[in-house]
Amino acid sequence: MKKSIEAKNLSAQLQHCATGNPPSTRPDTAISNAFPGLEMDFRNIWKCILVGIELHEASNLVVAVESDAPTNVHELANGYRLMQINDVAVTVPVKGPLYVGGPSVSLTDTTFGDTRMPLEWSNALADIVHQFSGKTVQCSFESLAEPKKTIEVALTVRQFFDEADVEGDKVRLAVIAKDIARPGALTQSLCSPWQNDYRECACFYWAATRPDYVNVEARPDGTSTGNNWMQKDRTPETPNVYVVDDWMDPSLVTYADLFRDWERSLRFIIGGVDEDGPPPKTDES
Amino acid sequence: MTLKIVELRILPPFAIARLGSSPDPMDNYRFEITDPIGIRHIQSDETLVVDRETGEVNGKQRPFVVRFRDSKYKIRPIAPFLEVWVRFAGEDNLVPLTTDILSSVGLEPSAIKWKAHVANIKAYRRTGDINDRIEAQTGSFSDHVVHALEGRCNNFFEDKTIPLGDVQYIKPSKEYPEIRLRFTPAAGKVYGPPPDPGDKDPNIADAVYDPGKGTWKGYFDHLSPDDLNKDPIKARKVTNPANIYAGKAEGDFYQISYGYLDDECDGIVEVELEIDGATLSAYTRVAAGPPTFAPDGMPVRTVGDELEQAMFGPDLDDPVTKQEIAEVRDIVRRALETVRLMNTMQMNKPSAQRGVGMARMDFLDLERALEPIVDPAVADSLAIRARHERVLLALEGGSLAWFARVLRDYDEVGDLSNEKRRKMPALMRNADGRHLALTRRQVNKVRMAAEYFISQTQEGQS
Repeated sequence: MKKSIEAKNLSAQLQHCATGNPPSTRPDTAISNAFPGLEMDFRNIWKCILVGIELHEASNLVVAVESDAPTNVHELANGYRLMQINDVAVTVPVKGPLYVGGPSVSLTDTTFGDTRMPLEWSNALADIVHQFSGKTVQCSFESLAEPKKTIEVALTVRQFFDEADVEGDKVRLAVIAKDIARPGALTQSLCSPWQNDYRECACFYWAATRPDYVNVEARPDGTSTGNNWMQKDRTPETPNVYVVDDWMDPSLVTYADLFRDWERSLRFIIGGVDEDGPPPKTDES
Repeated sequence: MTLKIVELRILPPFAIARLGSSPDPMDNYRFEITDPIGIRHIQSDETLVVDRETGEVNGKQRPFVVRFRDSKYKIRPIAPFLEVWVRFAGEDNLVPLTTDILSSVGLEPSAIKWKAHVANIKAYRRTGDINDRIEAQTGSFSDHVVHALEGRCNNFFEDKTIPLGDVQYIKPSKEYPEIRLRFTPAAGKVYGPPPDPGDKDPNIADAVYDPGKGTWKGYFDHLSPDDLNKDPIKARKVTNPANIYAGKAEGDFYQISYGYLDDECDGIVEVELEIDGATLSAYTRVAAGPPTFAPDGMPVRTVGDELEQAMFGPDLDDPVTKQEIAEVRDIVRRALETVRLMNTMQMNKPSAQRGVGMARMDFLDLERALEPIVDPAVADSLAIRARHERVLLALEGGSLAWFARVLRDYDEVGDLSNEKRRKMPALMRNADGRHLALTRRQVNKVRMAAEYFISQTQEGQS
């Protein structure tokens, strides 16, 4: 049977697996709840979503303004933060108890002193991107230094996906537009080198593909025991005890181990258990 | 009558490559699910084996044993194929471009022109120095030889590059007449500046970066309280998380960069075809990152989910379709695959020490009271796993309704009350470092499926 895909079926094109491509080539195997990420830091896709300005990938700060932007937009480079688009807030207040059992009160972040936090761009802008691509939206900005100083400006939402002109018709495509992210943009804010991501970040980001708790078994009392994926000593004879992650613990894989020989230091986990460990090192390996 | 080609596309529109130093790229595999709450079984699948010398391809038919490493224990890179598809005038469907189609319009495979442009701008993201950008471009080619993606950077020593992988136009044959290109990523090595005189640096594969030209060695994120006072805009421009480059800690706030670089990249591959004086073109995106070390599991929130939401918006049409119900089952399965490899008991601990999770981050980042997120009596990994298994087993019953009710809404991430911190996905971090919510479209899909099952049950009862 001849292969075909409906040209308008963009979902099928996004999920298309080319002949010979394993599942791990697909975007649905790349984590997006990363801080910052493994395969890419997908937050970067939102930096240039509004024509004329560049946003921070993880906050609502305007980090740059395009040189050909209108004059009133240029002021945004002087420490302005995006607060609303079409009256939709892109930040929320942070609240919780300061002591156990205490009332929920406003909390202040310990780095910047902010009491509101930016929402993830992906969710905050979901409606805007879907409904206003290529159209203008009303944006409200607030000065970092003087929050009462605000700027209201209409900006155009950049096309997220590319479009083609085919025989006079505009055709929607499933590929992310070039202007949204130039080469290198999607990986720019990852660790350098990438091995740092593996060492620094624990499993509360991405346990499904960067495992944490492996060789898990039930103890007689019904609770679990297993190994930390970063434990160096993992033979069938090794006691199945979890070593709490700490990059300063020499029984765990170190930064240097990963820089020099990550392929031997990290093991594939299939069915929750270790693959065979590396053979003794030879000159060739 | 000759059909007129009116459009080219490259599929997939976004392909992930995965680093590995084996010269033998990974074979193809697929998943089989035989037990509704069991693991995905990895089964061999149709594989294309490329002769790097000639660009010709041979098929490797299943079954064979799927191996993620070669005989020397080196990891086999995941090297995706990128296929060219075409649409004919008046047709609704795209079909793979083949040599027969090219012949039908009087063209040879050599009429196809490819080019690739990838980059690694991690150092530039920090230093802001345009000369720290590492870029690799092939220029246009129509042959079948391997085209190395040599990462060049103005701040490298004159004769030095970082290999960012390569691209090869696969030579079509009678058995494999389709037009395709393969992107093979780099090995996963670390590069940097030369060690100080008299020192050695066993961490780096090559000394490429000239610290006499650029500032990446010795760079540090300016994020101390003093920096925030002096220049708050500059301080807020650093990456979040900050200090995530190899370096030496200095004082409480600074990480002084060793100047290390890697061979990850992302970029664009383009194809062009001139027919009757008109040029048709298309492009796709590629990115190269580390392997999935638990290849039989999938993350609960992925780039695929982000793309779907960007494409179709956060809302779905009512009623939910069979396909969407299958997708909901997959979301729950992915949640199960996540908790299977997660020490939830440890992640739940109320401690400021390393090696614990969101309770620690809430305390350190926001001075929220330090206490466990869920009752420690039910936090063990096996208990949490069993709960997810029950939802997956009884999706059509009432269990999905429970799952749908406890999902965290995207705008609840700032609420760190006990009730809201226990919302799902619990104990996990989002892309900005706070509690994880799924995409709005994922949440809506789960809720609509739950409502559908409830309505079906009520109809059955009446």
